[in-house]
Amino acid sequence: MRKITYKIERFDGVNNFVQEYSFPYQPGKTILWGLITIKDSLDPTLAFTAACRSAVCGACAVRVNGQAVLACETPLDAILERFGDTLTIAPIQNFKVIRDLVVDWEPQAARLAEAKTWLQPRDEFDARKGCRQTAADFKKINTQAACILCGSCASECSKLSANDQDFLEPFTYSKVWKFVADTRDKSAAERIQAIQDKGLWKCMHCAECITKCPKGLAPGEDIARLRQLSIKMGYTGNPGARHALSFVKDIEDTGRLNEAKLQVRTIGLISSIAKFPMALRLLRRGKLNPFHFPGKVKGHEQIQAILKAVRESEK
Amino acid sequence: MRYAFFPGCVLEGAAKENYIATTAVAKALGIELVEIPGWTCCGASHVQDVNDLAATAINARNIALAEQMGLPLLTVCNTCTLMLRKAKTKLDNGQKDQVNGILAKAGIKYEGTSEITHLLWVLIRDYGLNKLQGLIKRPLIGLKVAGYYGCHILRPPAVMDFEDHANPQSLENLIRAIGAKPVDFAAKLKCCGFHATYTAEPDVIRITGETNQSAAEAGADCIVTPCPLCQMSLDMNQTEGQTAVGCKQEMPVLHLAQLVGLALGLSPEELGINMLIAGRELIKARIS
Ligand code: SF4
Ligand code: SF4
Ligand code: FES
Repeated sequence: MRKITYKIERFDGVNNFVQEYSFPYQPGKTILWGLITIKDSLDPTLAFTAACRSAVCGACAVRVNGQAVLACETPLDAILERFGDTLTIAPIQNFKVIRDLVVDWEPQAARLAEAKTWLQPRDEFDARKGCRQTAADFKKINTQAACILCGSCASECSKLSANDQDFLEPFTYSKVWKFVADTRDKSAAERIQAIQDKGLWKCMHCAECITKCPKGLAPGEDIARLRQLSIKMGYTGNPGARHALSFVKDIEDTGRLNEAKLQVRTIGLISSIAKFPMALRLLRRGKLNPFHFPGKVKGHEQIQAILKAVRESEK
Repeated sequence: MRYAFFPGCVLEGAAKENYIATTAVAKALGIELVEIPGWTCCGASHVQDVNDLAATAINARNIALAEQMGLPLLTVCNTCTLMLRKAKTKLDNGQKDQVNGILAKAGIKYEGTSEITHLLWVLIRDYGLNKLQGLIKRPLIGLKVAGYYGCHILRPPAVMDFEDHANPQSLENLIRAIGAKPVDFAAKLKCCGFHATYTAEPDVIRITGETNQSAAEAGADCIVTPCPLCQMSLDMNQTEGQTAVGCKQEMPVLHLAQLVGLALGLSPEELGINMLIAGRELIKARIS
């Protein structure tokens, strides 16, 4: 008889340990079915959360072989085909574990609240008239509105895993963008201002959040939207914005990057000199040539025409 | 086999050795790479932070140039591949007319006839590992290689659909084909942080240190990556990364073309191995 094995990373409040459970395979089941089977027939002490069982409540996210998924909607057969009949199941990362697969959302909820992710209705609305918007306007934020706060994006976020003190959970950026883009909300400018020192330019572009979201959100792309708007609003004095603008300038000037200039424009001359050991290493290996100024590429006038047309189309 | 070659800015600058290695390997394999005249920077995952439409439009031009050559477009950089494929996905799913309106100002047109591919995919899908195996002159028997994918050759899977993003095998298969041994290591799918080099530097240094340490602990002699930006991040930050994680082991980080080139019998000089920062001598000693 075919057996499935879950190696579960458990925590009893004091100790971490891995416990193995084997149970008979059944076709057409989910990851959550396996957890329920273990709890019902092998070990009632196993703790995990799940409520709706239909990918709506967001409670059941776990890591399967290092990848965050919703246990209730993830077909076991597909995962077994991917990884074989033994799976490692762990709680999602970047959350405090309460017990076994159960994580504490309280601190994350507090961080989310700091970003004021609720509607601040425009002054023309009131309790009697309500707060209406057209279907077309809602469509603009439909995707972001679908977030179920499962935490999968936060679990695999490269920046959050490296340091969560100067960065927020990816879903928070998506929520901030949702309210910035919501025609009923009056606080877009304040929201953009408030996000400036909340890690806006520290995202590593790893696309883990986009890959892991079970609801089709792309927090990494919402971060790009927030960055675009903040540049438009004049927040250009930080290394992140300067770096991005520098790429556009090089493309417009010659078509290609100028690495030496890029660094100076991004972090300034003084910091560039402070990076001397690294630069020296590159120079010594012939990887950096401070005298390399790429000439204009063939068809450079096309690039200028394209960028000009882009700007005009957005007026 | 002919491809419209898109080297990307980093191969003109800090990763010249990858230009050298890619050209040498293509020649040895009989793959013709015709550099796209007038290609520009792909935006490097930064231009969309200023203007999304500009990012799509400049890459529509890059792709249109390959189309004019009647060839599929080949890159050797994960981020270039993603930027170009992202533009193509948008163009082929509704943005074509809008962007062609912009390109018309420059007298060019995007048709949608050229595929965007990466050297790794070409070696596996177009060239074939059997054929590659037949050309191996220096089988790298016993060399333990940690295949480090880098984000943008896998993610997001809606745009990068070559293989399973959660359990990719292309690097491992390639490593086996050239006689070496793939090692499994915890950081295989991790991010190198390159795109936040200037904004989250301490984090980047530590995660590159962790990746090199993870490969060392798994017994790897070297890392290989299909992305020159990952290579730079793991190689350039190595001293600082070692200090950050307390791991003293030097870890050579090879470009994909360099590893394949060694197996094809090319010399370290012909592959620009001398331009690596960490572990040059380790690699040379290992193959002599
Ligand atoms: S793209 Fe940015 S926000 Fe998304 S997971 Fe990576 S670092 Fe986090
Ligand atoms: S953005 Fe997606 S992955 Fe992140 S919490 Fe919301 S639904 Fe889950
Ligand atoms: S149990 Fe509600 S989302 Fe899975």
